[in-house]
Amino acid sequence: MNRLRRSVASRSTAADRAPIGLILAAVRHWQTILVAGYTLAAFSWTMPAQLFPPKPLIDSFSARPLLLLGLWQAWDMFSPDPRSDDICVELRSTDRDGTIDRRMLTDMVSMGYAERWQKDRWRKYCNDHLRLDAERILWQPFAEYAARRLRAEGHDPLTIELIRWWRPCEPLLSPKLRADRRQTDWSSYVFHRWGVPREWDR
Amino acid sequence: MTSPSAIIVRAATAFDRWVRDPVDPRPLAWFRCWLGLLSLVNLWLLWPDMPMWLGNDGVLPPDVHRTLIGDTRISVYLATGYSDAAIGLIRGLGLVGGLGLLTGVLPRCAAACVWLATVSYSWRAMEILHSGDNLIRIGAFFLMFAGSGGALSLPRAVRRWWFRQTDHEPDGRWLPVPAWPQRILQLQLCVLYLTAGIWKTLGLTWRNGTAVGLVLQLGEFQRFPIPDCFLTPVMAQVMTFATLAFELGFPLLIWIPRLRLPVLLAGLAFHAGLDWAMNVQLFQWLITAYYLLWLKPPTRLGPACPD
Repeated sequence: MNRLRRSVASRSTAADRAPIGLILAAVRHWQTILVAGYTLAAFSWTMPAQLFPPKPLIDSFSARPLLLLGLWQAWDMFSPDPRSDDICVELRSTDRDGTIDRRMLTDMVSMGYAERWQKDRWRKYCNDHLRLDAERILWQPFAEYAARRLRAEGHDPLTIELIRWWRPCEPLLSPKLRADRRQTDWSSYVFHRWGVPREWDR
Repeated sequence: MTSPSAIIVRAATAFDRWVRDPVDPRPLAWFRCWLGLLSLVNLWLLWPDMPMWLGNDGVLPPDVHRTLIGDTRISVYLATGYSDAAIGLIRGLGLVGGLGLLTGVLPRCAAACVWLATVSYSWRAMEILHSGDNLIRIGAFFLMFAGSGGALSLPRAVRRWWFRQTDHEPDGRWLPVPAWPQRILQLQLCVLYLTAGIWKTLGLTWRNGTAVGLVLQLGEFQRFPIPDCFLTPVMAQVMTFATLAFELGFPLLIWIPRLRLPVLLAGLAFHAGLDWAMNVQLFQWLITAYYLLWLKPPTRLGPACPD
């Protein structure tokens, strides 16, 4: 009987010890676990879902900490395919006296080298977000911001229009296809029009 | 014959040693300095447009921002709410932090300041972010835990020259620091290239060799002039496949010590070319900071004390 008791006791102690040993090993090797865990989380976060089946599972654990700590990331520029249209966004305002003011917001080629470098975020905002139907929530706030800026410059805008411009790229590259030498015609479309009330924001 | 399980155990042990064995502090210090300088340049570029991107009267007023962003993240906006005071705070944190990283004054606090400034503007204006912001955020975050003040540091220089104190070991070697922040950032670079390459393999234009040809036609990215001999269909194919080969090859070849320097030099040439041809602000520069973490510092003894 005593032998049985001893045997049960020793078995339960060994069973208790196993997780404790595991925990201690994990504590001792926390750097390795952290480095491997972070690398796996970052890899999963940035992988296309169709090529990495465990992505939903791993992301479900890692999304909150990555977002909370500012460690989210994306490395998919020009992927899966780069844009096949050369694009630009125009702001057109018509003043109450009929004067039309046109500004090509993201015509980077017409800017000097320093200006286009400084305005890269501007390009990003206009071409990658403001221009898109999916992000129409940005259109009116942008028009209002433009109206405020135009008034500060002494204009009295009656309408604000946002216009997309685009021209297709050719599949085969040649020197004459660089944007500053290209002769291809542009197409355009007014994607947002706002009549500025006279008393708005005064 | 070695069994698969033995190979796995050996690999795991080697990885564990690679992560846990302390390292020379200089690569982390080089990284800290270069990241600090570039974060200051980033701040300088962003500075004049901050009211437009982050202000309540800017292009993303609070009600629109609330609709766009569903979650809360750590940022100065947790303290200030939607207030234009946050802009001053972000500028101050970015400036103090960037200078701290550059000079090595309280490098962990400096990293925290840069990280907080970057996560704050990132949260408030997601639409203006580029990959360089990711590199600053991630780099600054892990520098908070790194012993990066051991070299290229103003306080250390002052201690050495004015107070004649040394923080070298008696044999003149640099005092080692925990390796894991450096290792995590090294692996981050591999993840960056690997996933960038994998994403590209999904695209038809990357597979048929026309992708770079399309990019070079986009006026929004055009920067300095490129010789006409590069602007041909054949060269577009060469550049497209070279990009794929480099991005997919880097994470594998960088582990081979003999190839490490050539791979890093190829990467420098690759990013210098991109920076010349394409207008993408600071990404090409910031990624070179991560390259510094792969360099092996010279093994000669550290600089001697004044006496």
